[in-house]
Amino acid sequence: MNFDKDLDARGLNCPLPILRAKKALTDMQSGQILRIIATDPGSVKDFQAFCKQTGNELISQTEADKEFVVLMKRK
Amino acid sequence: MTEASPAQLAPYVTGGAFVLAFIFGAVGAKTNFCTMGAVSDWVNMGDTSRLRMWLLAIAVAILGTNALHLAGVVDLSKSIFQAPRFIWLAYLVGGFVFGVGMTLGSGCGSKTLIRIGGGNLKSVVVFMFLGVAAYMTLRGLFGSFRVGVLEKSVITLAGNQDLPAIFARLLGGELKTWILALSLLVGGSLLAFVYASKEVRANFDYTLGGVVIGLLVVAGWYVSGAIGHVAEDPKTLEEVFVATNSGRMESFSFVAPMAFVLEYLMLWTDTSRIVTFGIASAAGVIAGSAAYALATRTFRWESFRDAEDTASHMIGGVLMGFGGVTALGCTVGQGISGFSTLALGSIMTFVAIVAGSAATMKWQYWRLMR
Repeated sequence: MNFDKDLDARGLNCPLPILRAKKALTDMQSGQILRIIATDPGSVKDFQAFCKQTGNELISQTEADKEFVVLMKRK
Repeated sequence: MTEASPAQLAPYVTGGAFVLAFIFGAVGAKTNFCTMGAVSDWVNMGDTSRLRMWLLAIAVAILGTNALHLAGVVDLSKSIFQAPRFIWLAYLVGGFVFGVGMTLGSGCGSKTLIRIGGGNLKSVVVFMFLGVAAYMTLRGLFGSFRVGVLEKSVITLAGNQDLPAIFARLLGGELKTWILALSLLVGGSLLAFVYASKEVRANFDYTLGGVVIGLLVVAGWYVSGAIGHVAEDPKTLEEVFVATNSGRMESFSFVAPMAFVLEYLMLWTDTSRIVTFGIASAAGVIAGSAAYALATRTFRWESFRDAEDTASHMIGGVLMGFGGVTALGCTVGQGISGFSTLALGSIMTFVAIVAGSAATMKWQYWRLMR
């Protein structure tokens, strides 16, 4: 799937992936898609909670090669 | 258990601590129990669910611990938390610094142990720096500052510093009545707040994490304060709480024990050194978390991203070691075990830790945005 912005959060732990995602979203337009790659297992639930709370749409969460890939649509 | 000698009871105390901590590690890993994460969810996304899980653990610990006390099973005045010596500046500064440290170091003391069990090598480094800094604060360079500066700001109360004792002194009445009333009031209010959330009611993990960890703290008090209590040691004729580093009744806390783990390993051949409640509990959390990670195939090696990430974790470990010892406990030590005794200093430390963590997250976000 295509995305408009890429965020590399590999090697970062809570709360930094969320903080960096928040920052990335402020530079984006409504409807644009952010891809985040993270390695912290805790980030999976964190991004679910983040989308639920902020209203941004969680399009998908997948895991490949020990990396978690999140696709999020800006509200 | 006054019949048995301390040496006979020690394996029960350390074995009990290990088993309880094993459950702590496994349940903490399963439910994502994390006090720093709780503050992060609240500050960074307005989600209070994990904060409520922490408060649920506190509520359960308050109700269970005070029930044990009122039943005469343990005597909470024998813990370090209720002492009349009210070191208010140490609680505030230590708590705040600990909150800063746990945010920079990817989690508090218990989370560091849980992460180690899950394969996080950063947390091994945090453990080392935290343990050394905690030791330096107990007996070394930082200890001079703690004792010579921070603990100079002390108020010596007329009696113990727990809320029931304070209210009994101020308003009169039986201490036991105040313990019953205030534990029900504080514990009940926290429970009501926790379950006012639809999210918490809908996801059983929050209840599982909060209730189990709260009960483990209660069980910790029982292990140290009842099983490990010798009213009169046959050798010294003094009261003993077996296999504790403080010499007092203990429950779970995860900062000073990391220092004692390092000390035990470094002084292994010194036969006067023994495995204590704290040492066994640190090992138990790692083992429980590792067992959960292996059983669920979620064990994964994690390492540092870059130099800044490395420095952040090293500093976080040092700040947690200093702050945790200075404030007499961490988010679990003061935040749950201490809070369960309704000690004023524990409640003050809890607030200071949350404030330090929240302020650091705000600073991190500001730094990213500038």
